[in-house]
Amino acid sequence: MSNQYVISIMSRDRVGIIYEVSRAISELQGNIADLRQSVLCGYFSMILLASFPASITQRAIERKLAEVDARSETPIDAAVEQVTVEALPGAPAIPENAYVLTATGSDKIGFVATVTSFCANRHINILDLSTTTSASSYVMILIVDLSRCPSVAAVRAELASFAKEQGINVVLQHYDIFRAVNEINLPIR
Amino acid sequence: MIRSDEILNTVDMIQKENLDVRAVTMGISLLDCRHAEVERTCQAIKDKIIRQAGRLVQTCDEISGEYAIPVVNKRVAVTPIAHVGAGFDAPGFVRIAQTLDEAANEVGIDLLGGFSADVANGMGPGDKELIASIPAALTATRKVCSSINVGSTRYGINMDAIVLLGQTIKTLAESSADQGGFAAAKFVVFTNQPGDNPFMAGAIHGLGQHDVVINVGVSGPGVIARALERKIAQEGRQNLGLHDLAEEIKRTAFRVTRSGELIGRQVARALNVPFGVVDLSLAPTPNVGDSVGEIIQILGVDSVGAPGSTAIVALLNDAVKKGGTFASQSVGGLSGAFIPVCEDQVLANAVRDDALVLEKLEAMTSVCSVGLDMIAIPGSVDAATISAIIADEMAIGMINGKTTAVRLIPVPGKEAGEFVTFGGLFGESAIAPVRNVGKSQRFVDFAGKIPAPIHSLKN
Repeated sequence: MSNQYVISIMSRDRVGIIYEVSRAISELQGNIADLRQSVLCGYFSMILLASFPASITQRAIERKLAEVDARSETPIDAAVEQVTVEALPGAPAIPENAYVLTATGSDKIGFVATVTSFCANRHINILDLSTTTSASSYVMILIVDLSRCPSVAAVRAELASFAKEQGINVVLQHYDIFRAVNEINLPIR
Repeated sequence: MIRSDEILNTVDMIQKENLDVRAVTMGISLLDCRHAEVERTCQAIKDKIIRQAGRLVQTCDEISGEYAIPVVNKRVAVTPIAHVGAGFDAPGFVRIAQTLDEAANEVGIDLLGGFSADVANGMGPGDKELIASIPAALTATRKVCSSINVGSTRYGINMDAIVLLGQTIKTLAESSADQGGFAAAKFVVFTNQPGDNPFMAGAIHGLGQHDVVINVGVSGPGVIARALERKIAQEGRQNLGLHDLAEEIKRTAFRVTRSGELIGRQVARALNVPFGVVDLSLAPTPNVGDSVGEIIQILGVDSVGAPGSTAIVALLNDAVKKGGTFASQSVGGLSGAFIPVCEDQVLANAVRDDALVLEKLEAMTSVCSVGLDMIAIPGSVDAATISAIIADEMAIGMINGKTTAVRLIPVPGKEAGEFVTFGGLFGESAIAPVRNVGKSQRFVDFAGKIPAPIHSLKN
C-alpha cells in the first residue's frame, strides 16, 4: 500500500533545488510520478505528484522538507497534501474544443481579473495562462476549453462586446491553427 | 504546449500581416451533365453546381470564423466547357456561360472558372465554337472566367489558336471599353495549364480528377515580407547571405501553407468531398503590405525590374515551393510567386515609373510560377502583336516544362503612361508601353504549329 501526495515548492531560483527536494523524497522511498516547474522573475516554483509507502506520514514528509529548507541557502517554502489520483495522464491533453484567447490592452490594475472574470462567468475553463508585455501594452495568452459553453458563436459575440466595453483587443482562435503553423504534425481530428 | 511567443507570432501573421486563404475552389465535373439539347444541358449544369456548391460559401465562412483566418474568395472550377458542349454552336456556348453565371450567383461564390478548351495539339469544331463565343460569353456574364490552353511541352504550340486569341483579347477589351477593357481580365491563355489550379482566371476542373474536389490557394506575400524585414533587422544586413533569406522564406512558406492545408481539409471534411491540393502561390492583392513586388525590393533591388530582379524571383519561387511542399500532403496548381501587375501595388508603381517593362516581366516569368499576368497595354496595340507576345510567353513554358500564361488588357482609347482602374482584387495600373508594335505580322501570318520540343540534349 502507498499514499499519494502533491508537493508544492517555492524558492528564489538557484542551482540544485530540484536535486535537494528529489533526494529528500527518495530517502523516504517516495516515487515521483509527475512534475512541473516554472521560473518567473528569478522565483522558482514546482509542483509534483509522488507516492510514498503507507508507513510514511504527511508529517514525516513535511519534516523532511523542513530539513531541506534548513540546509538551503535560499528559504524553501513547501506544502504537502494527500491526494487520490486514479490514472496518470500522459502529456497534458488539449481537448478538441481548445481555443487560444489573446487579450491585449494597456497595463492597468485588474486586467487579469477582468479577463478571467469573463471566462469564469461563462464556464470557460482556463487550461494555460501566460502574460507578456510589449511596447507599453499588456498581453494575456489563455488556452481555454470551450466545451462547456453552449455555442462558440455566442462566446465570440459576448467577447466582442466585452472587448469594446473594456477598451481592449481580443482574438479567439481554435488551438489547431497554432499547432498547424508551429508543429511538424498537422492536427486533423 | 505551444510557447507564448509562437502564439503571438501566429496572431500577428493573421491580424497584421495579411495572412489569408486566398481561394477555396470547389472543382466540379460537369461531364455527366451533357444532353443532346442546349437547354437540358444547361439545366443539368445548374442543378449539379447548386447541389454540390450550395453550402460552400457558408461552410468556408464558418471554418474561417473558427480559426479567425479570412477565406477571401470562394470559387468553383468546372470541367472545361468545350468537353461538355462539343457539338453546340457559339450561341449554345453563350447560353452555357449564362447558366454558369446564374449558378454562381445562386450559390454566392465570387468567380467561376472553366469556360475553357485545350487546343494544344489541334482544334475541334467544338473548341472553335467555344473560342468564337468567348467575347459574347464574358460580356454577358459577371462571374465566369475563361481560359484556353494553347500549348504544352508534350505537343508544342498551336499558333492557329494563338492567331484567333489575339483577336479575342482585342474584342473582349473593346466590348467592355466603358470598364477599361475589364472583360479581358477574365480571360487567360496558357501553356501546360494545370487541371487543379484554384486561382482565377485560369481555374478549371481538368479531366482525370475526382467528381467533386476542394482545392485551396494560399497567399501571404505580406507575411513573407514582414518575416524578411524582421530577420534583417535582428541579424543585420551585413551578417546575412541570400541563402539565409531563402531559408527564412522557406520557413514562412511552411506556416502560410499549413494554414491553407488545415482550412482546406476542414472545408472538404465538412462538405464530405475529397481534398485535392494546396496551391502554394504567393498571390498579392492591391492592398498595401500584401505585395510580391515588395518582397523583391526587400531582397535587394531598389526598383522591381532592375538587374537582379529575375534572380530574386527565382530564389523566391523556389523557396516558397520548398517550404510549402513539406507543409502539405499534396501540392498542385500553379504553386509559386505570382507577378500580376495590376493586382500588386509595388509592381504597378514600377511600371508607372518605367522601371519595369514588358521584356523584363517576360524574363521574370521564365522563373516564376505563371506569366504575363494582369498587364494593361495600350488599346492601339494590334491583334497580331498580342498574338506574338502570347507566342513568346508560351515558348518559355513549352521549353522549360512549366506553366506559363498571358492575361493582357489592351485598354481601349488609352496609351502608355495613362492609368486604368478595375477595382477590388483586380487593382489598377499605369498602362505599360509595348515596343516594336506591328513588327511581328509575318510571323503571326505563318500560323500553323510550333512543334513539340526535343526531350533530350538539354542545354
